[in-house]
Amino acid sequence: MATRTRWSPGPATWKDDLSPLPAGEWNYDRAAHLLAHAGFGGTPSEIEKVMAAGLDGAVRSLVHYERIPNPRMQPFVESGLWDPTLDRFPDSRPEATDRASKDGASMGVDTKPQGNRPMQPVSDRFFYWLRATMLETRRLGYWWANRMLQTTHPVEQKMALLWHGHFATHENKVRDYRKMMQQIDLFEKEATGNVRELTIKVAQNPAMLYFLDAQYNVKGAPNENFAREVMELFTMGVGNYSEQDVREGARAFTGWYFDDLTFKVDPGKHDSGPKTFLGRTGNFDGVDVVKIIFDQPATAEFLAGKIYRFLVRDELSPDLRRRLGAVLRDNHYEIKPLLSAIFSSKDFYSQATYGGHIKGPVEHMVAMMKHLGAEAIPGVPDFNQSTIAMGQHLLNPPSVAGWAGGKAWITPGLLIARGNIARDVLIPDMTGFRDWNFTAGSDDVLGRRLRDGLDIGAATAVTDPSKMSTFDLVALERDELFNTRISGYIGWEQAARKLVPTPRQAAQFDLTRMVIDSGATTTAEAIDYLTWRMLRVPPAKPTRDAFVTFLTGELGTDRLDRAKTYMEDALRMTVHLVMSTPEYQIV
Amino acid sequence: MPGRNRSDDSGVSRRDMMRLGAGGLGFGLFGGVGPVPFVFSQASRATSATLSNKILVVFEWFGGNDGLNTIVPYGDAMYYKHRPTIGIKEKDLLKIDAQFGWHKSMRGMKTLYDEGKVAIVQGVGYDRPSFSHFTSMSFWHTAAPNSGNEYGWIGRTASALDPAGARPNMIVNISDSQTLAVKAEKHVPLVFTDPAKFQRDVFAQEKRVVDVLPAQETPVGDAHKYVLEVTRSAAQASEVVRAAWSRYTGRNNPDLRLLDLDKVAALIEADFPTKLYYVPLRGSLFDTHVNQASPHDRQLEYCSDAIAGFFQEMHRIGRADDVVMYVHSEFGRRVPENTSLGTDHGTAQVNFVIGNAVKGGLYGKAPSLSNLVLGDNLESTVDFRQVYATLIQGWLDADAASVLGQRFDTLPMFRV
Repeated sequence: MATRTRWSPGPATWKDDLSPLPAGEWNYDRAAHLLAHAGFGGTPSEIEKVMAAGLDGAVRSLVHYERIPNPRMQPFVESGLWDPTLDRFPDSRPEATDRASKDGASMGVDTKPQGNRPMQPVSDRFFYWLRATMLETRRLGYWWANRMLQTTHPVEQKMALLWHGHFATHENKVRDYRKMMQQIDLFEKEATGNVRELTIKVAQNPAMLYFLDAQYNVKGAPNENFAREVMELFTMGVGNYSEQDVREGARAFTGWYFDDLTFKVDPGKHDSGPKTFLGRTGNFDGVDVVKIIFDQPATAEFLAGKIYRFLVRDELSPDLRRRLGAVLRDNHYEIKPLLSAIFSSKDFYSQATYGGHIKGPVEHMVAMMKHLGAEAIPGVPDFNQSTIAMGQHLLNPPSVAGWAGGKAWITPGLLIARGNIARDVLIPDMTGFRDWNFTAGSDDVLGRRLRDGLDIGAATAVTDPSKMSTFDLVALERDELFNTRISGYIGWEQAARKLVPTPRQAAQFDLTRMVIDSGATTTAEAIDYLTWRMLRVPPAKPTRDAFVTFLTGELGTDRLDRAKTYMEDALRMTVHLVMSTPEYQIV
Repeated sequence: MPGRNRSDDSGVSRRDMMRLGAGGLGFGLFGGVGPVPFVFSQASRATSATLSNKILVVFEWFGGNDGLNTIVPYGDAMYYKHRPTIGIKEKDLLKIDAQFGWHKSMRGMKTLYDEGKVAIVQGVGYDRPSFSHFTSMSFWHTAAPNSGNEYGWIGRTASALDPAGARPNMIVNISDSQTLAVKAEKHVPLVFTDPAKFQRDVFAQEKRVVDVLPAQETPVGDAHKYVLEVTRSAAQASEVVRAAWSRYTGRNNPDLRLLDLDKVAALIEADFPTKLYYVPLRGSLFDTHVNQASPHDRQLEYCSDAIAGFFQEMHRIGRADDVVMYVHSEFGRRVPENTSLGTDHGTAQVNFVIGNAVKGGLYGKAPSLSNLVLGDNLESTVDFRQVYATLIQGWLDADAASVLGQRFDTLPMFRV
């Protein structure tokens, strides 16, 4: 059984102090704090291992993880939805059908020589890929979340998650799960490497190039989208460059594009003339521009601050940010020394940091599994639907600025969703569950109508036309080349036929055993154990007492040995309540 | 103050709902979920009586809407010179006069305009504009361009209207995460998107424990304090929002549903005490760097239909005289089209103020297309805080100077 050290935040005077924690200050609670911030939390046995390694040993093995075996990491199993005709996928449905009008074919599909809706196959094909890549991306996100849970390198996964939100692209626009997969791979490989090198690789990453319109950035007609976001969101932040720098930077990136999954430079479209960028002049290309950006002190401070806020706590003083920036810069943008300095510092274990971080939804989901002792993220509830409800759709951040994080994770609506998802995990609705991947969204009604023998016109008609928008009415005109509404449904069906199904198993864990193994004999001891194991910030006394009363009432006794044959569901309800507390949302 | 035109058939339930909405405080920490305690409903009615029935709905179009392709200056030959490909042809426009026309997709707004209910404000911007979506929008949210403020302009307006912060649910923000504009010193904005899911799912046995979840009175820090406050506010708000939503009779209007304006209509129908609604339209759909025509046409159509549908709802509910909507973006777009058949980030933009109380017409001075500034950009002619001051002072009867920190000239756009 774990040594149950009390919650032990360091004194307030440790705040902003980057000097190392004295060895005598190291204990189980501090090890739990370290794992909760550096990774996704830990089971008691994981925390004990970290504690046993001592502070230096613990930080070293967390940060320098490369040689630690990671046996549960498996490659993503693709469904085989893509084929080369989908290369250079049209940006929009109108573009797809315009191509077909011009060439008689689009995305490897011909138009019909005669008959109604001659372009229907083209429209169907367009929606097939929209649905296919959307569904496969959801599988990809689920696979990634399981890596976060099952890895022996939690810092690697936590940092990959940070980079995904920092160098944010979303599948909604990229529309190619393969490019998103390539990004996850990049963020894992470079998770704790050199952030300057990572930035160059991101600038040459096909998902990013597409996302920020690089293919339209050509000599003589620069498109500023990419150059601006590189400086504003990825490296320096506003106020450290001028509009002139944006324009000159855009010129340096001209001619950068991608061919399917490969970065390319088109010398004919690259503007090789001299540029003046951040006070320097030369015939710069994109790599030169990134290097110049990383010569600015603002860049080191911006990135160090971002890393700190993601891992440690929301607020940091300008002075601490400057000192962390110096650590990053002095180490030539190597990330590991910065992480080691943060994780070893008194500041990290100070009162300000304890309970100072609001868990993001994906982090929260992974941490729930650690607390329950589950070894895989469940299939019921659906991982993506759950995290979307809590405000985070993996591989679909809301904009290029990523997720705001911190307090933005909590609104009345999102907070309630966290409690509801906890219940879905603890007491899943197995008989009421429907696999979202096979629902066709709101278009499933069309499938039922077609199978009932209605033609496309009738199936897509709306019962009450007065309730339709102008847009719907336009979309429903009868004499048509194609019907996009039915394509939405058919595309989903075609994609779902090939899609590798997601196993729909509930989370596997045993709270009865967990509580008995803890040595608890009464309901009060059970509550104290469960709250100690799951909450970093202890519960309020009235809350704790209400839990004890609740559990005793549900069991009909306060003696666990009397109730051990039937107490699982009551324990699950109790943990649902524990995970619904304000304290559970923070570490 | 415009009179309220209420139908009698639902008067009773509306009064009940008013108690429900205004009495959010009734669902206290240990109060349990039950009928609103008498004392709270009395108190909140008294509070409500001191404020008018006027409501402001802000509908934010994030992404940088292209004002020149929204209210098109077709009478200026320079427009077609700057935009040879993506310029909207005269024959496609819904004409206003010999100079300007509505984008062809905006039939809904054009109809409202023809009824004299839409003020079009051109040339809206600020000095030293930022070309960053996020920075510029933060300037609009705080009403502090090239500066800052801890609270948003809507949050500060709430403080001006109700300095004690006594009125519950004063601000509603239909959004996944709280918009900076609504951040307030005393009022906790009610933030949600889906009313049907805005409910704590618990088993019967768990119900009495739920009230004790935010029992901690000495938070360990700022994040803890924040989560505790939201937990308490969520418990109060979810009940009343869901009740309003389940009784809302206009729920299946697709025009509204698409853009979340149906949630606003539902709360207004339920006589929520809310005076300030904030609905940000997300997804950067107005960020039209590339092949702009098709997405922009569609986006304007959705928005225009939604606004027209929303005011039909207000008319049906009998609150059309009490509601004004304000539409803005974070900036307009560059005047010349780019080589990707799109436009890059720009400066001055077009705003709309809509409602029965509005004197429709063109306001502000349309920026010159010949004398461009800051590299092919429009020179703004109206500071956006003039529009804010107009709404705060002219519509909500609050002191704009105290909200904005200085006095701005207002635009005479409200019927007295």
